[in-house]
Amino acid sequence: MGCMTPIRILLADDHNLLRDGLRLLLERQPGFVVVAEAGDGREALRLAEEHCPDVAVMDIAMPLLNGIDATKRIVDACAPTSVIILSMHHDESYIVRALNAGARGYLLKDSLKADLIGAVKAVSQGHSYFSPQIRALLQEDYFREMSDKHKTDSFELLTAREREILQLAAEGKSNKDVAQLLNLSQYTVETHRAHILQKLNLHTVPELILYAVRKGIIH
Amino acid sequence: MRRHPWLALTAGFGGLLLLMAAAQLGALFMIDNLRDSGTQVQRRFLERSRTLEQIRSSIYLSGTVARDSLLAPAASASSQLAEVNRLHQQTDEALEKYQKSIEPEEAAAFANLRSEIEAYWRVLDRTFAWSDTERMEYRYQFFYSELIPRRTNMLQIADRVGQLNEQALLRGDQQFSGRFEQLRLGLIGMTVLTLIGGLTLAVNTSVLILRLQKEVHARLNENIEAKTSLRELSAKLVRAQEEERRALSRELHDEAGQSFSAILLEAENLLDEPHRDSVRPHLESIRGMAERGLAAARNLALLLRPSMLDDFGLVPALNWQARELAKRTGLRVQVSAAELSASLPEEHKTCIYRVVQEALNNVAKHAQASTAQVTLALRNEGLIDLTVQDDGSGFDAARVRGLGLLGMEERVHHLGGEFMIDSQPGLGTRLKVTLPFADLAAINGMHDTNTDFAGRRS
Repeated sequence: MGCMTPIRILLADDHNLLRDGLRLLLERQPGFVVVAEAGDGREALRLAEEHCPDVAVMDIAMPLLNGIDATKRIVDACAPTSVIILSMHHDESYIVRALNAGARGYLLKDSLKADLIGAVKAVSQGHSYFSPQIRALLQEDYFREMSDKHKTDSFELLTAREREILQLAAEGKSNKDVAQLLNLSQYTVETHRAHILQKLNLHTVPELILYAVRKGIIH
Repeated sequence: MRRHPWLALTAGFGGLLLLMAAAQLGALFMIDNLRDSGTQVQRRFLERSRTLEQIRSSIYLSGTVARDSLLAPAASASSQLAEVNRLHQQTDEALEKYQKSIEPEEAAAFANLRSEIEAYWRVLDRTFAWSDTERMEYRYQFFYSELIPRRTNMLQIADRVGQLNEQALLRGDQQFSGRFEQLRLGLIGMTVLTLIGGLTLAVNTSVLILRLQKEVHARLNENIEAKTSLRELSAKLVRAQEEERRALSRELHDEAGQSFSAILLEAENLLDEPHRDSVRPHLESIRGMAERGLAAARNLALLLRPSMLDDFGLVPALNWQARELAKRTGLRVQVSAAELSASLPEEHKTCIYRVVQEALNNVAKHAQASTAQVTLALRNEGLIDLTVQDDGSGFDAARVRGLGLLGMEERVHHLGGEFMIDSQPGLGTRLKVTLPFADLAAINGMHDTNTDFAGRRS
């Protein structure tokens, strides 16, 4: 697709050394441009409004405005921007919170080198991205929960078509995109989507994404 | 007295008892004495009266014998003389006897009686020495003018001595009543003394008891105060410890963790560049150390105080803890806290979290349980109920009280809550905590579990 135009990136982290390392890593990658750098949440918001970058890479723990709240406001202010959260936290609470705020990616600071490039590429194409450790963790939790509660896997209730649509939706495709891809009407896709949410007892897109990650449907 | 109240009490009571015993014994002794001396006086009086009577009858008899011998023919004189001599001797013995128990008041009268009697014997003896003619010639004259008057005189003196003896009896009586009076006074004195002693002792004992009571009361108050301040101190310590943990956790997470991340990234960036072969192992070693450092900083921070507790509130933190424990030990932990909001007061939040943490650790360590259930519920009266129940081996809750349990109890009590453990060997353990929560309205407004994300540094 748009290989000619570079991916424009905003980098926000209060830790200068880490930010330098990240910029170095990103700028070595052909097709990546770091258009702005911020040391706190407010500056990140201001620069995002100014540059409207394709991808914002955000630390959670930042002074003045934390990364989660900044994400919410950046997504509100500039819809095309996809946010990747950088975090030290392995726990589900943080991931859910990040997704609820509108982030598309969640990376652990343990494995930035391995994941960051892939994550930037993925979210710039509208997909979600989680660190492999996070995916493993969520899947592990999911299986334990299933075996603990002796629940039947609700995934079995879905039809083949619904599973197809679940994956595409979780990857960040809009109903329109899905309809085009599967050669269906947009209305049919919407109906399928509603059925999926109902069968899986889910309510929001982040929940859907998290579910797909847990099930190993998306990466 | 202050140091040895028992000594004072022993001395006091002992003294009083001794005094009473002495008074009783003294009175008994004096009564015995009195009775003895009374009998003695009477006995002496009777004896003396008898002696006097003997003297009197001897004299009378001797007069009769003398008259008979003067009137009789000469032949019978020698047997009558023997009779008179016997009477004489008898009288002398009686006089000697009386002389021994003589009273000073009767001395003169008695001496008079004695000399009269001596003279009488002498006169009487003379008549037996008479010849028959002398006897015929003088006998009537002697009889009427000598014998009768002398005898009458003697008997009169004897009567006086008898009267004096009676007076002695009277004096003895007087002496007796005098001594009786003395005994009475003595008894009264003793009674008064005993009363005074008893009263003094009672007053002293009362004062002592009152002082002891006051002292005990003061000590009790001191004790209560000490306990209160100890409890306050321990609460302060717990708060300070929690604050310290929070600060350390944050510092570890934000500073140490970020630095390790930066080192890690830097090392990885360098590894991408072309290097001599000798540098590469060093860079890889740096990367490994940074990875370990990052993991250690994160784990230590979570161990000190999980960031979820401050970032998302109690329920997410409890869920996290349950997941962690499940991962680490295989224990299945279910947390149900549906209707509880996360914005409890800080102290309640921390208290519940720490209690659950300690309880679950105990379950994992000792209970050999497969599942544990954590329930957090709100009661209408403004109380929060926390229950941690397991299906493990249980223990004797009445006997076993470890430091961890005491710590939990202390935390709960400080917030005015109740702490209960219900466990029996083989029947699992149920820990129940009830915390009062003053601001009910605040809770009711908190049913939305979506709390604001509290930034680590914002």
